Amino acid sequence: MLPLSSILLEPEEWSALWLSAQVASCAAMAGLPLAVAVAYLLARGRFAGKWLVETVVNLPLVLPPVVTGYLLLVCFSPRGPIGSVLESWFGVRVVFTTAAAVLAAMVVSFPLMVRAIRLAFQAVDPRLEVAARSLGAGRLTTFFTVTLPLARRGMIAGWMLAFARSLGEFGATIMVASNISGRTRTIPLEIHRLANTPPDGITRCWRLVLVSVVLACGALVVSELLERRHSRHESA
Amino acid sequence: MSLLSFQCRHRYPGGFELDVAFEVDHPVTSLFGPSGSGKTSVLAAIAGFLYPTSGAVRLGDQTLLDTAAGLHLPPEQRRVGVVFQEHLLFPHMTVEANLRYGQKHRRQRRSVSMDRVVEVLQVGALLGRYPGKLSGGERQRVAIGRALLSGPELLLMDEPLASLDRALKTRILTYLERVVTEWGIPTLFVTHSQAEVRRLAHWVIVLKQGRVVADGRPDEALSRPEPLGWKNSMGPANLLRLDPVEFHEGHAHGRIGDQSLYVPLEETPAGAPLFVQFTPIDVIVCRHDVHGVSARNHLLGRVCQIVPVEKAVFVAIDVGQILWAEVTPEAVTELALEPGSEVTCLLKAHSLHVVE
Repeated sequence: MLPLSSILLEPEEWSALWLSAQVASCAAMAGLPLAVAVAYLLARGRFAGKWLVETVVNLPLVLPPVVTGYLLLVCFSPRGPIGSVLESWFGVRVVFTTAAAVLAAMVVSFPLMVRAIRLAFQAVDPRLEVAARSLGAGRLTTFFTVTLPLARRGMIAGWMLAFARSLGEFGATIMVASNISGRTRTIPLEIHRLANTPPDGITRCWRLVLVSVVLACGALVVSELLERRHSRHESA
Repeated sequence: MSLLSFQCRHRYPGGFELDVAFEVDHPVTSLFGPSGSGKTSVLAAIAGFLYPTSGAVRLGDQTLLDTAAGLHLPPEQRRVGVVFQEHLLFPHMTVEANLRYGQKHRRQRRSVSMDRVVEVLQVGALLGRYPGKLSGGERQRVAIGRALLSGPELLLMDEPLASLDRALKTRILTYLERVVTEWGIPTLFVTHSQAEVRRLAHWVIVLKQGRVVADGRPDEALSRPEPLGWKNSMGPANLLRLDPVEFHEGHAHGRIGDQSLYVPLEETPAGAPLFVQFTPIDVIVCRHDVHGVSARNHLLGRVCQIVPVEKAVFVAIDVGQILWAEVTPEAVTELALEPGSEVTCLLKAHSLHVVE
């Protein structure tokens, strides 16, 4: 039997949990508007080069996260194409900060989010948009009063999926944000550190493993509940 | 200046070509024709969802489309209300929010009162409900109300009754008649049902394969032997208007000119006018009036047109209104039928269907 005290999280683990929650929700929030725009473009738009947009969006899904992380590191490092601009114009350095962890989580979870929202947009009957426009609503009004509300279930699902994926993000994070306690050391990174800390690291991992499982299940349950509440009057 | 003038050519990638021009001057105009004749494309071009290869559309003093001038007003800026074949209500909004949608998003020129719409279409009890919880007829009524409340200068109806069953059709038709009399918004009504055309429309434009093949008052236009095909649902159908009507237990006597028609009824309908429908094959044509036959109705009339079609002959007979009889070529020879001949039409009472 394990002693009772071993069930409680240690400060280092609390900090990883708290940081993970922050990073994952920030990543999912920051990705949402762009994901909605890209998903709408892919669902409704007909334009040359659509395949290219699709490929780029889906790339993080098939690339090893470490490669994604490496590419981000190259772009955002102070001498990189984006990093240098950020540094010289705004004096902001992204790499090896919490922002980098958010960035990594956002990029890696982005395709999942786009996919869920795109499916939701495709499920909205375009004739309803036609009806809205015949009633005097412009394109933008139609989008915000008809298309978006009808696709909200997909948005919730996409957000939850991105949140859950961000919680588990490891490879890209460790490349672009490193493994700094309290700043970039999220749950997976903490588990990795513990597992590499002899002699009892492996046994100390289990609490965080449990936390990960609970968080993932929680996200699924919450999205399920939200979906049910919203779909009540639309079915039938 | 006509209310609506329409002239468009459009070539679809599949090869179908639409080349239609017409003017609308009547309160209710029907676009009539078989499916695939281009009716819906015409509506789409008026509403702004089809950008034709070339053409111009004017509604009152507003130019909606002029390809020569490169003008194409987006749908939301055209004061055109559309009632679709399927209701297309917004499923995430209550009936009330659906009704107010157009009011909210279009600046009104013609003001239509919400209370009046609710009253005329009898949707008061539905306001708080969601479209998912409504019956087919209720949805279509709300859809009509929603289009009305956007304050349109022209109402387009794209087979608004097609997705409803027969009993509902006649009820919604009654509501449409009320809407037409209440607001008098010019209406362009797409249908492939002759009965609907004859009941609602003052003018009909007959389309076939993307061209206008006939237009005129419904009685006239639909009785011309023009190329709609005679041996299908587009062929001649009979719909007589009885006004006034006297009701007795289980039957009615309605007037057609100075003649009377006996109609058996299962329940007493609301009142005159009453419309009865029957097929040309139900009509027996006699040279003289006959006695001792079971057929209840003997209508005197004069032959006005004889159209041979394959192995049958369609005879148009003016009995006060035009009706069509389908007979054999032998009968035409034997009875020496020709335009001007006086005849008696026998109609079995039970071959008459009342269209409420």
